[in-house]
Amino acid sequence: MRIAVDIEKKLRDASREFHLCMRFESDADVTVLYGESGAGKSLTVLAIAGLIRPDKGRITVDDRALFDSAHRIDVRARHRNIGLVFQDYALFPHLTVLQNIAFAQNRGWFNRRTVDADARATMASMQLDALADAYPSDLSGGQRQRVALARALASRPRLLLLDEPFSALDSALRDRLRDELIDTRRRAGIPMIVITHNADDVAAFGGKLVRVRDGRVAD
Amino acid sequence: MCRRWLFLVLIVPLHASAADIVVSAAASLSNSFSEIGKRYEAKHPGDNIVANFAASDVLLKQIEQGAPVDVFASADEQTMDRAAQSNNIEKSTRKDFASNALVLIVGVNAKSPAKLDDLADSDYAHIAIGNPDSVPAGRYAKEALTAAKLWDKIQPQIVPAQNVRQALDYVARGEAQAGFVYATDAETQKEKVRVAMTVPTSTPVRYPIAVTTTSQHADAAKAFVAFVNSADGQAVLKKYGFSAP
Amino acid sequence: MSSDAIVPLLLTLKVASLATVLASIVGIALGKWLGRHRTFTRNVAESLLTLPLVLPPTVLGYYLLVVLGRNGFIGEWLMRWFGVSLIFTWQGAVIAASIAAFPLILRAARASFSDVDAQLENAARSLGASETEVFFRATLPLAWRGILAGALLAFARAMGEFGATLMVAGSLPGRTQTLSLAIYDAVMAGDDARAESMVIISLIAAVVLLIFAAQLLQRRKHT
Repeated sequence: MRIAVDIEKKLRDASREFHLCMRFESDADVTVLYGESGAGKSLTVLAIAGLIRPDKGRITVDDRALFDSAHRIDVRARHRNIGLVFQDYALFPHLTVLQNIAFAQNRGWFNRRTVDADARATMASMQLDALADAYPSDLSGGQRQRVALARALASRPRLLLLDEPFSALDSALRDRLRDELIDTRRRAGIPMIVITHNADDVAAFGGKLVRVRDGRVAD
Repeated sequence: MCRRWLFLVLIVPLHASAADIVVSAAASLSNSFSEIGKRYEAKHPGDNIVANFAASDVLLKQIEQGAPVDVFASADEQTMDRAAQSNNIEKSTRKDFASNALVLIVGVNAKSPAKLDDLADSDYAHIAIGNPDSVPAGRYAKEALTAAKLWDKIQPQIVPAQNVRQALDYVARGEAQAGFVYATDAETQKEKVRVAMTVPTSTPVRYPIAVTTTSQHADAAKAFVAFVNSADGQAVLKKYGFSAP
Repeated sequence: MSSDAIVPLLLTLKVASLATVLASIVGIALGKWLGRHRTFTRNVAESLLTLPLVLPPTVLGYYLLVVLGRNGFIGEWLMRWFGVSLIFTWQGAVIAASIAAFPLILRAARASFSDVDAQLENAARSLGASETEVFFRATLPLAWRGILAGALLAFARAMGEFGATLMVAGSLPGRTQTLSLAIYDAVMAGDDARAESMVIISLIAAVVLLIFAAQLLQRRKHT
């Protein structure tokens, strides 16, 4: 899968102005966005997911335009088929682990208690069965991370985006979960873009490295 | 800033020496008593008439609960009798000062009933009368309707109003198709309502006035009562359609 | 409790419940529409919509009477097309009470929706949910306590509605004479005993509602 990003966005708040100007391409299985906090990595990933709209530019995945300001194309987030693991996991606090994971499959206006086999399979593959009826507030940091990952994977995305997936965890847990992630990704066969400010992550993930500084790709 | 306070301190006592005479009068006396009050003030500079208009029963309730009222003018003897019984008025000052007629009104463009019985017609979906529990005009109307054996029949159409002026307003607005008010009230809205007929009542519609026992300005209050009964006062009342008592 | 008090009480419960339901539907919809972004236009809109809360009830009642009355903008239309009038009806009382109470739900709804973590709504979107699904499955389940607290306050306000109701619906015993109006009429008629029993009922109802609302708001802070 090849992803091409070429976007610009200006953000202004009370104290300063931030100019995002990201341009990169990748056909690697793993792409790492590496840089300090505030560099613009999360913004880029949210734009790829369709949750914020760039001022102008293009985003294409396998030559299908997800966003193209020149041609007024802006595919809605829900149609982009992109899984997203947020920095603080954003698990639905009012739903059980199972309901969280099955969220994408359970369509409709109500949160159902019963879920289908697909969701259960995803849950089993990540060894989360035991936690099926637990609520996010009952889980540890590491457990939450894995549930967030399972939830994103259960939506059968063709691209996975992860925003600092280990930043809330201690280093031992971090190493273990990173290895797990690499393994899970390989089994699922889905390309992923990972955001990190940790040098060890960069070494472990390999793949294509994109350094980000002050809203642009730095070489 | 200090100078301003001094100025006020000088002004206030001057004003306080003038009498504030609080006159609680039936709603139907709104226009006439406002004018009488002004004329009285012109003749007695320094006295200030504070008028308080509402249904007679409501006014009596206020007096009973200790409201600082000097003069009470009611739209029926019954309410004044109650005031006398509970020792709220100086009986020696009680005097009838006007009388009125109860009329049946309809909106200007509405069908006029030829007789009271016509009110049972479904055309008169809403008939406004003062709430008999607290408004003399409502009691007069209920008395007349009961005598005509209509009271129970037209119950579903009755819309009770808080005072006779509200009943008038309902008809003027077209929300009620007919209503019972005093002839004097109908006059005030003659572009919007029409008098269909005068309604005879077995109890004559007579207005008594009296000074309250709790008045702090008894002399000024008595002077006001005298003014209402004087040629000047009576002329104003006649202007607004009231008859002699 | 005298049997006299039952009729106004039941009528009040009926009017207040319907008014709260009506106000809730409109309040939740508008609360969502106003959204979490505090732009100038949206703040002005919210202020205008909150007007019934600060207007003197008689002013509100007067304007309702003018608009819903036979010669009014809406009243005339209703008369011409349906042959009905809302004046002197319990339906009119419901309208008056719902307009008086609705700002309480609007504010509660807007605040509750804003309190919901935007990240959660984004997560729902990224998982394929349409905006409606996001609202019903993510936003509303997390905001309902705050909204319900607002609805309880609205219900209490609707139960106590007096000025606007009196002007629009009148005080017709058995039809539009709610508890507040019945108390007023009883006092004016000199029937203090009747007034007192109804006052006690109203007080108890108001206190119970306030306690419920406070409990709901407390639990909301813990989730």
